[in-house]
Amino acid sequence: MIPLSLLIMSLLLSCGGAILCLLLKHREEDIRLGGSGVGIAAALAGLGAGLTAIGAGQPVVLDAAGPYPFAHFVLRLDPLAGLMIAVISLLSLVAWIYGFAYVREYAGRGVGAMGFFMNAFIASMMLVVAADNAFWFLIFFEMMSLASYFLVIFDQDDEAVGAGFLYFLVAHGGSVLIMAAFFLMANRAGSFDFAAFRAHPLPAPLDSVAFLLAFIGFGAKAGMIPLHIWLPRAHPAAPSHASALMSGVMIKIGVFGIVKVGIDLLGASAGPAMLGWGLLVLAFGAVSSVLGVVYALAEHDIKKLLAYHSVENIGIILLGVGTGMIGMALHQPVLAVLGLMAGLYHLLNHAVFKGLLFLGAGSTIFRMHTKDMEEMGGLARTMPWTALSFLVGALAISAIPPLNGFVSEWYTYQALFAAALDGTPLVKFAAPIAAVMLALTGALAVMCFVKAYGIMFAGAPRSHHAEEAREAPAAMVAGMAVLAVACVALGLLAPLMAPVMGRIAAATIGTAPVTLAVGTTLLPGDAQQATLSTPLIAILLIAMAFLPIALKTAFAAKRGGDRKVAAPWAAGYLPDHHMPASAGSFAQPIRMFFAPLYTMRRSIAGRWTGIALGFERVVTLARRTEPLADRSIVAPIAGAVDASGKWLQIIQAGDFRIYCLYIVAALIALLALAV
Amino acid sequence: MLTFSHLILGLFQALLLLAAAPLVSGLSRMVRAKLHTRHGPGLLQDYRDIAKLLTRQDLTPPNSGFAFRLMPAVMLTTVLVIAMGIPMLTRFTPVAPIGDLITVIYLFALARFFFSLSGIDSGSSFSGIGGSRELTMGVLVEPVMLLSLFVAALLAGSTNLGAIGSAIADGHVRSATATVIAALSFAYAIYIELGKLPYDMAEAEQELQEGPLTEYSGPSLALIKWAMALKQTVVVAWFVGVFLPFGSASGMSFFGLLFGLIAFAIKLVLIFAAVGVVENSVARVRFRLTPQHSWVGVGAASLAFVFYLVGL
Repeated sequence: MIPLSLLIMSLLLSCGGAILCLLLKHREEDIRLGGSGVGIAAALAGLGAGLTAIGAGQPVVLDAAGPYPFAHFVLRLDPLAGLMIAVISLLSLVAWIYGFAYVREYAGRGVGAMGFFMNAFIASMMLVVAADNAFWFLIFFEMMSLASYFLVIFDQDDEAVGAGFLYFLVAHGGSVLIMAAFFLMANRAGSFDFAAFRAHPLPAPLDSVAFLLAFIGFGAKAGMIPLHIWLPRAHPAAPSHASALMSGVMIKIGVFGIVKVGIDLLGASAGPAMLGWGLLVLAFGAVSSVLGVVYALAEHDIKKLLAYHSVENIGIILLGVGTGMIGMALHQPVLAVLGLMAGLYHLLNHAVFKGLLFLGAGSTIFRMHTKDMEEMGGLARTMPWTALSFLVGALAISAIPPLNGFVSEWYTYQALFAAALDGTPLVKFAAPIAAVMLALTGALAVMCFVKAYGIMFAGAPRSHHAEEAREAPAAMVAGMAVLAVACVALGLLAPLMAPVMGRIAAATIGTAPVTLAVGTTLLPGDAQQATLSTPLIAILLIAMAFLPIALKTAFAAKRGGDRKVAAPWAAGYLPDHHMPASAGSFAQPIRMFFAPLYTMRRSIAGRWTGIALGFERVVTLARRTEPLADRSIVAPIAGAVDASGKWLQIIQAGDFRIYCLYIVAALIALLALAV
Repeated sequence: MLTFSHLILGLFQALLLLAAAPLVSGLSRMVRAKLHTRHGPGLLQDYRDIAKLLTRQDLTPPNSGFAFRLMPAVMLTTVLVIAMGIPMLTRFTPVAPIGDLITVIYLFALARFFFSLSGIDSGSSFSGIGGSRELTMGVLVEPVMLLSLFVAALLAGSTNLGAIGSAIADGHVRSATATVIAALSFAYAIYIELGKLPYDMAEAEQELQEGPLTEYSGPSLALIKWAMALKQTVVVAWFVGVFLPFGSASGMSFFGLLFGLIAFAIKLVLIFAAVGVVENSVARVRFRLTPQHSWVGVGAASLAFVFYLVGL
């Protein structure tokens, strides 16, 4: 019961923090200190809950009977929920540390409200993953969407409100579909408890319908293409530490939902249809990963660029999850565990490095007051710690060994390879194509992050602000440092982490664990297939680096001192600030070579704009109908009352004697009636 | 399992390749000179160049940061580590946990990352364009490399480069046609990766003043020149180790290794001589037309994949 009590402690602390933030709303300095303090405590308790739940291995259940039979309040902490809670807590811990300094940016604009919604957002995310009843799941899911909606529209400008509206639309459209899926299952099970869903599996065609509904619903939340359209607008609009939480954690709830429905609730009893589900997830994953990064490359707004990378990484996670589902459908437990484990590992890794990158972007925005990369440049000199952290994040998200992004992508490749090796013909065809998509994604991601880091932090300052930027406050650097260290640790300590992920995956699927590491070597279940050792790569990289350093120093005495030249060579012309590579020019070859994909985005965006326009038309129509009712019903009555009043005014002349005459007349009339 | 002697072998082959790399680039220069009916600077000219550059002053542009200064060391280091994982003298990979096809592709991405980043960091427009092109070529080539190696790996049942090479050497692959086509498409991808004409894009001498190398000088330039020669050698060794492993040692015996070394050297010289002839008989492809060329590679790799699926 330790995990549950820690979870409840964390939730109570979050509630307390939320109330505190509202009570102190006029004393912003106190909110900064108190809100962050309580938030950090809640996050630490949550982290404890998550880790102990993973360690326990067995699900822990809290069953509190509610007043209504359908709203049976059940919390269940299985290893998967434990992983999610640990990820949520880790990121919220860092967000609170970072936010301590960062919310100064929002001084006087409702820091209390921001603290309230952050607390509500974090608590509802934890409750979503722990809830074991469809009714409460949906309630908390809605709470999560609402709290994050208010964070998106925090800036209150046109862009934020527009983005918020689109987000609101997609989030609720998604939850309607999820609701429909749960109703199908509840109809069969006769209860809204997930335990009942597991006990009464849906018959053959209905389970595919339920899965499809849930997949689209949760896919909209996860931001997979083509339901991603809200994501690159909503995430950049929110404050950076909230963006880190949204991109790092909230969209993972979508993936969690797909795993929950596809594997936990329906997967165990699903028939051959499950192969189709797995291939569907795989296909959506492959498309999302490539298109996400292609669109990211064309962005100049650093937060939009990062948001598109979230779409990409959701795609990579779905590749793993899809392979896991294929493994379940083919009754190959090793493949199933390998695929799901790769997806979950990437889920954790992406949360860490995307959180880091959003915080890094937040730090530069904090100093620069712009999101446009073209205005930055040369920040590595003025903000060295931010630059270093961002570089670690950029290398990790580009899947550069030996950092964490590489490890999970390596497992994804290995899962795809294993699927291609002994799958059905369709799987044999699909898995290598997915692997090629992943390779294309990897190459594009490297390009994108060379561009992001290079344009922001390298070269000459591109604006006056960039020249005068200062390092971010200590709390913000500390927040980034925690995540940068986590990126390195999750990569180098992969031989310890991979088996844990494997156990979580195995427990979720319900099979025996698979050997994923021996000593310092990682292997995908079978050492013959492949091996990898990130600690060894790190050691060799460090050891080999002595050679070039020694070569350089050995001849140092023979040559004159190093010096800086006046300017880079510009073919004899005077170099000016228009000459170096810019965000636009650097990605220009890709925009040229992949032009059809960008055209496609415009047409998809047009479709969505069409939907949004449709909604606007409805609103306008409502606005036009409302006065109509006014004119035809309310206005005539009001007019009649008015007119009769005017008419009555005639008898009210204001002369005292006439009023006396009225009284006498009335008396006579009454007497006459009485007689 | 990785043993100490494997590690030593890996180290030995990395250092051997490092020592031989200027010789290989010198060979390319000699082939070019012969085709121009010139006398040529001699096989050892690149050693002399490097030695001289190491004693020259190191100049850096005014706005460059640590990415610019780190790059030569990072690049040389990375390529050396890759060299430890590729089967060259032996059938098996000396350091197996590096000799995985995915790991090797992504380790090259590490070198590429810093190489291109230094281009932006130098502040020169030529370097920036060179960096952008280097990454674009990576985008066009990496999928081809992965697919062709993936097909070979599926035929061998392992993604370890040594295991694939052994399976090919022993004839334990189910589809000979698929293997040959995969080898051809991989060779094409490798050729593009070499950065030689007609695909001399990122370090184009006449067009971009050697791209990201523009602003380097002295010892930094020496390290980069050396690293690039080493990279070209390693890339070719990668192809040889996987698709032409004939003659390499299957055990750790001294004579086996010696014989493997001789076979490897002969293969390397032949391939670089052939590359030299091709390089000097074509003109540069226009950069905006490169996707049309890389599609040929994609097509060939896909063909290999189809042959694998059909099982011919």
